Amino acid sequence: MSDSHEPQASESGPAPLHGLLAEYTTTGDILRASKKVRDAGFSRWDTFTPFPVHGIDRAMGIRMTILPWIVLGAGLTGLGTAILLQWWTNAYDYPWLISGKPLWSIPANVPIMFELTVLIGGVTAFIAMLVLNNLPMPAHPLDQVKRFARATDDRFFLLIEAADPKFDADATRALLDSTRPHAIESILEDRKTSDKLPTGIIYALVIATVASAVPFALAAKARYTKSRSTRIHLIQDMDAQPKYKAQRENPVFADGRSTRVPDPETVAVGELHEDDHFYRGTQNGAFARTFPPTFRVDETAMLRGEQRFGIYCTPCHGFGAEGNGMVAKRAEELAQGTWTPPSNLTDQRIRDMPVGEIFNTITHGIRNMPAYGPQIPTSDRWAIILYLRALERSHAAKIADLAPAERTGL
Amino acid sequence: MATAKKDPKKSPTGTKTGTSAAKAEGAAKKTSEPDDAAARVAVEGFADSIRLGTESSAMFAKAGGLAVVCLAVSAALGASEGDGFKRWSYGYIAAFGVALAITAGSLFWVCLQHLVNAKWSVVVRRIGELFAANMPLLAILALPVVVPVVLGNGVVYEWADKTKVASEEILKHKSGYLNPGFFLVRMLFYFGFWSILARYYLNSSRRQDETGGSEIAPTMTRVSGPAMIAFGLTITFCSIDLFMAVEPRWFSTMFGVYFFASCVLGVHVTLILTLMWLQRRGRLATTITTEHYHDLGKMLFAFVIFWAYIGFSQFMLIWYANLPEETAWFKQRFFGGWGAVSWTLVFGHFVIPFFGLLSRHIKRSKALLAFWCFWMLAMIYIDMYWLVLPAINVEPDVRAMDLLALLGLLSALVAGAAREAGKKNLIPTKDPRLEQSLAFENI
Ligand code: HEC
Repeated sequence: MSDSHEPQASESGPAPLHGLLAEYTTTGDILRASKKVRDAGFSRWDTFTPFPVHGIDRAMGIRMTILPWIVLGAGLTGLGTAILLQWWTNAYDYPWLISGKPLWSIPANVPIMFELTVLIGGVTAFIAMLVLNNLPMPAHPLDQVKRFARATDDRFFLLIEAADPKFDADATRALLDSTRPHAIESILEDRKTSDKLPTGIIYALVIATVASAVPFALAAKARYTKSRSTRIHLIQDMDAQPKYKAQRENPVFADGRSTRVPDPETVAVGELHEDDHFYRGTQNGAFARTFPPTFRVDETAMLRGEQRFGIYCTPCHGFGAEGNGMVAKRAEELAQGTWTPPSNLTDQRIRDMPVGEIFNTITHGIRNMPAYGPQIPTSDRWAIILYLRALERSHAAKIADLAPAERTGL
Repeated sequence: MATAKKDPKKSPTGTKTGTSAAKAEGAAKKTSEPDDAAARVAVEGFADSIRLGTESSAMFAKAGGLAVVCLAVSAALGASEGDGFKRWSYGYIAAFGVALAITAGSLFWVCLQHLVNAKWSVVVRRIGELFAANMPLLAILALPVVVPVVLGNGVVYEWADKTKVASEEILKHKSGYLNPGFFLVRMLFYFGFWSILARYYLNSSRRQDETGGSEIAPTMTRVSGPAMIAFGLTITFCSIDLFMAVEPRWFSTMFGVYFFASCVLGVHVTLILTLMWLQRRGRLATTITTEHYHDLGKMLFAFVIFWAYIGFSQFMLIWYANLPEETAWFKQRFFGGWGAVSWTLVFGHFVIPFFGLLSRHIKRSKALLAFWCFWMLAMIYIDMYWLVLPAINVEPDVRAMDLLALLGLLSALVAGAAREAGKKNLIPTKDPRLEQSLAFENI
């Protein structure tokens, strides 16, 4: 502080006056005193009380704080940030469709809008409150005053700073005297506490600043360099397991491959699908015209077929198998021109088709219809065909097919 | 029961309200316990202002008369529709929702003040107790809703009609809960429990006025814990039974809380407006200060946000999951005329009052606060209307009978509270926290 002129002159002499401190014993006293000081037109003064004293704001003539406006601004900033953030990330920079909602969808954004409004509003309120109160304040001349310790306990204080333009050592003291304080004390500037930051803190700040750049530097480096070593893997979980995965190198075998080709003619347990009729729908190389003997045609099978048909086939072929399922209808509505409608399964062509061929169609799919073999167990495929046959029959029903009693009911 | 009658030391009931103040002063001076709260009430000249006096019966006659006329005309208009009161019932249920919100809200509020041992609100609490004590009256006013259900008439609540239930899988499935018998049992339970609780709080509080018993306040606090839990459950199920069950195919587990938001808004609106009316009539003139209005206003503001929070949460879950059985309800409300009502709610029930009530200056200005109270009261009604009426009207259509039902029910509440207030104190004069409440200041 060699270049600061004023204090330097008196550095060795007595410290200059910081202000006058008056002590009071009751809230009533401090309120009355505050009003007097306020009316005397002072501007650099403050009161210190162990608890919030009702009415002190008015007694001191403190204007309404601007904090609410700051918080309002911060809240609106949070709101705007949230909207922009979500628009930019989800709808603009990297469009990503979620749950079929619009890319930029306000209802989906509301929770973040709410959170950011509250977060930025709240944090700002906290910080702005500190700043508006001149906090943090590491040192203050009052810290050196012994009696001032009771400001946190049972005494009320009023300090008028010497820096106040209205301050006049004698007149101000007289004014304070007239408020009948318990005591008045002249407060001198603090000479003990250095106003320099402690070197330890300076070093810590420098180190923290430098250190905070490290992650960014590493990230930047990683973006622009290539490395052959595996990524850093902090949490192992069950990632590393003592087994060979499909595409890994395997030193046990001469060809070094983990995936082994089964020996020719191997058959897994229960996978010997010898029965051509049942498993492939063929008999002597031609599509079978009958149900395989291992498949029991009964009511259970029919009901099972109805249910499975409902699950797997109706989306395209419709409940009546006429090729008018929901998917087909929707595709027609969209009219994109690339759509092959599902066949009407009650057509004469399909009715004449051997059951084995239909079995083959379900298993392997046909043209635009995907294969259902991998999804539907073999006996269920036969059950579906059984039900399909019943559906076809019902489409070709004639009045004569009905019992006489039912006929009259029509 | 009245203080004056029981206390032999006091002079007989005075003709002017002024004398009762003198009596209170005398009583306070005689009490040996250091209960200077009551003394303050008497001495510092709130004197003639803490009782309604003869104004009570005048108000009862006026509001009661208005209620009877409005409800009668409304019902007559309903009958003239010739649809077996179908259309009328929907409007009545919506209006009843507002009345229930205010009354149940008052009960909740009183309970809450005891639960948290609130000090600021002591001078306001009696008003809440009076409105909560309307519960038996409300039970009677619920008859037009409950009786048809019990008679198996399904004009409003389809599930009350046996043949309809038999013909529909969903209704059949829900009939274990939604059936006339169980509905009646539940209604008796809700209104019975609320009536008893409300009466308990009012009577205990008044007994304290008389005896100044120091054990009364802690007992009320102890009761409020379990009572609060029971209130939470009853208000949830009651709102489901009365309002959600209008459309029995739809369901939302958040519905109870949604209605609860209206309850809390309802009570604060009622308290603020009632206090303003009393003060204009020279009652509680110095007892209730800007500070109390400010706090009530803060709660009103908070629950404007709470309503939006709950309303949006309910909407968002349904909107996001997009399940047909749930979205159907919102779809009905989001297009056409109801869509306009929905937007009215978004802005009128949240955005506009949010900014309207945000500032401290507004909450501390009587005129502006009163304006927002009327505004919110209207919004509570629009909200109820929006909940109930789309079940019958594809497009919103407000009829005179709906508004008359609302006016009738609200007047009935005012009449009930005025009668209950009678010639007794409007503040709990011997509550141990009264002093703090009188001196209450917002920092
Ligand atoms: C994803 C839609 C879709 C589903 C599901 C579907 N199909 Fe198809 N199916 C089609 C289409 C499309 C065609 C017509 C293919 C063509 O002609 O290109 C078709 C044709 C057929 C044919 C006629 C084949 C021929 O030779 O012309 C049969 C039989 C058939 N499906 C049976 C079934 C059965 C049984 C199921 C249920 C297991 C089923 N389909 C499920 C789309 C579907």
